Amino acid sequence: MSERPDPLKVLAVCGLGMGTSLILRMTAESVLTRLGIAAQVDNTDLSTARSTEADVIVGQGMHMTELEGAATVIVTVDDFVDESALEARLRPALAEVGWL
Amino acid sequence: MQLLQDILTGIANNVFSQVPILIGLIALAGLLLQRKPFETVVAGTVRAIVGVVILTLGVDIFTGGLVSFQAIVSSAFGLEPPTATSTLNDFLAGTGSAVPMIIALGFAVHLVLVRIFPAARYVYLTGHLMFWMSIVIAASLVEVFTDIPRTTLIVAGAVIIACYWTLQPLWIAPLMRRVVGHDQFGLGHTSSTVALMAGYGSRALRLGDPVKHDSEKLKLPRQISFFKDINVSTAVIITVIMLVAIAFADSGIVQEQMAGSDLLPWAWGLTQALRFAAGIAILLFGVRMFLAEIVPAFKGISDKVLPGTKPALDIPVAFPKAPTAVMIGFLSSTVVFLVVMAVFATAGWFVLVPPMIMLFFGGGAGGVFGNAVAGWRGAVFGGVVNGVLLAVGQWITWGLYGDTAPELGTLADPDWFAVGWLLIGAAHLLAPLGGVAVWVVTGAVLVVTVAVLALLGRRAARTGTSPATTAATTSATASPTAPASSTTASSTTVSPTATTPTTGGTHE
Repeated sequence: MSERPDPLKVLAVCGLGMGTSLILRMTAESVLTRLGIAAQVDNTDLSTARSTEADVIVGQGMHMTELEGAATVIVTVDDFVDESALEARLRPALAEVGWL
Repeated sequence: MQLLQDILTGIANNVFSQVPILIGLIALAGLLLQRKPFETVVAGTVRAIVGVVILTLGVDIFTGGLVSFQAIVSSAFGLEPPTATSTLNDFLAGTGSAVPMIIALGFAVHLVLVRIFPAARYVYLTGHLMFWMSIVIAASLVEVFTDIPRTTLIVAGAVIIACYWTLQPLWIAPLMRRVVGHDQFGLGHTSSTVALMAGYGSRALRLGDPVKHDSEKLKLPRQISFFKDINVSTAVIITVIMLVAIAFADSGIVQEQMAGSDLLPWAWGLTQALRFAAGIAILLFGVRMFLAEIVPAFKGISDKVLPGTKPALDIPVAFPKAPTAVMIGFLSSTVVFLVVMAVFATAGWFVLVPPMIMLFFGGGAGGVFGNAVAGWRGAVFGGVVNGVLLAVGQWITWGLYGDTAPELGTLADPDWFAVGWLLIGAAHLLAPLGGVAVWVVTGAVLVVTVAVLALLGRRAARTGTSPATTAATTSATASPTAPASSTTASSTTVSPTATTPTTGGTHE
């Protein structure tokens, strides 16, 4: 359990870092706003994500195995535009580390 | 009067011919429209501008690497390397500086089409492909109509790109629904041609059964997972080919390319191959930087002007449903491309360059769409189709864009080829008409688009269903070999793939 970083640094990741991760960034931004968490959300590709400091990483399952240990919280998504699905996964993940 | 004209000419020459500034202005407008706070507007505009500058630096490095690569691989096989009078960078700095205007005006025309015709419900949001496809269309027009006035280029290019953005998500919609299992978003990607061929092709060939042969039941060795990282696979494959080629190439040619470097040839080859991969990484970083500011604005506009429409998104949105199929498609695509490359080389044809990004995303698309229809065999088939299309496409396309941006051939997805060839072909046919030819081509594209949309809309009204459902059902039933289950799959939200366990979610 630790104090939640303010703002929370969130990284949306995809293979190239410009298409789906950008859409996912917008989805994550609105979910975090709804949860009332101040966050700075960026989007990037797999290689860059490994060398970027982040508290939370969201992305597709097939990429997350490459990113194990790159952030405190790692959440996988199957649907890049579904806000409620992302919120349903983000909530327990953040609660687990005491950030919610 | 003279003063006013001087000022206008000055603005035209110093502002509107500068791609970075133009993209910055689009970002600025977007951020203001979103009513972002002052600091965000400033930072975002500057980021967008710097992004384009980084992009051109990346293109520069990539182009330089491409030239040595082609020279050395050609020499290893005793061929003449392809020549071109212009490069992508030259084109973007010159006539191609119209591209940002084409994107902005094209997006407006696209929104108008979607607003007027209920059948066109997808708003195209895949930003980097909006950028590249606009370059393809601009370059095609410039290749045929050499002295095309700037305003004509902008208006014609905008109308043509708007028609592509409107139609492309529609022709892939029935298959897309089958792959992702719902209709919450569409697919806006320039590998749609491969996806169509993979889906309908493996159905026509009766390659397999989507449930019995499902790719997700297979397990691929973990050791090859590093290929998923585009930077890694580009660096590895280009390095291997470069080192092998240096071993067989004429040492004089290698020395010439080395331009006085003190390194041993193999060490130099290694650095060059890595620079090439780095060039692509830098190029992508630049594109990412300006898109991050522009796409949210485009989404904001479309949400505000057109509530209820659905976004057409990048191809990875289809990947979580079948990650193994993505790898199968990518690997088969890469293997086939390398085989075709060897065949081309021994036959003395054009020197191909393995485009790892397009082999991954196009191959992945072929894999996922093939798998949805015919299981892993369909995935292999989709990958093979992508590999062959990319190889043959490079060969034909490099020459077509010799006076503008030949690199469009090596950076391309299959749709770039399809759209570019159609456009150049049609324009050549009409070239005898002179100055009006460009308007005839543009008008024809618009008329066909409007006719298709009106037809889809009328059909929807007649059957009393939503246009998308009709589009899906009609194309599924129109295919004579369609198994009975697929008709229901595409007209309802239940599809075979929807019930497959998605490995994407199991890593939690």
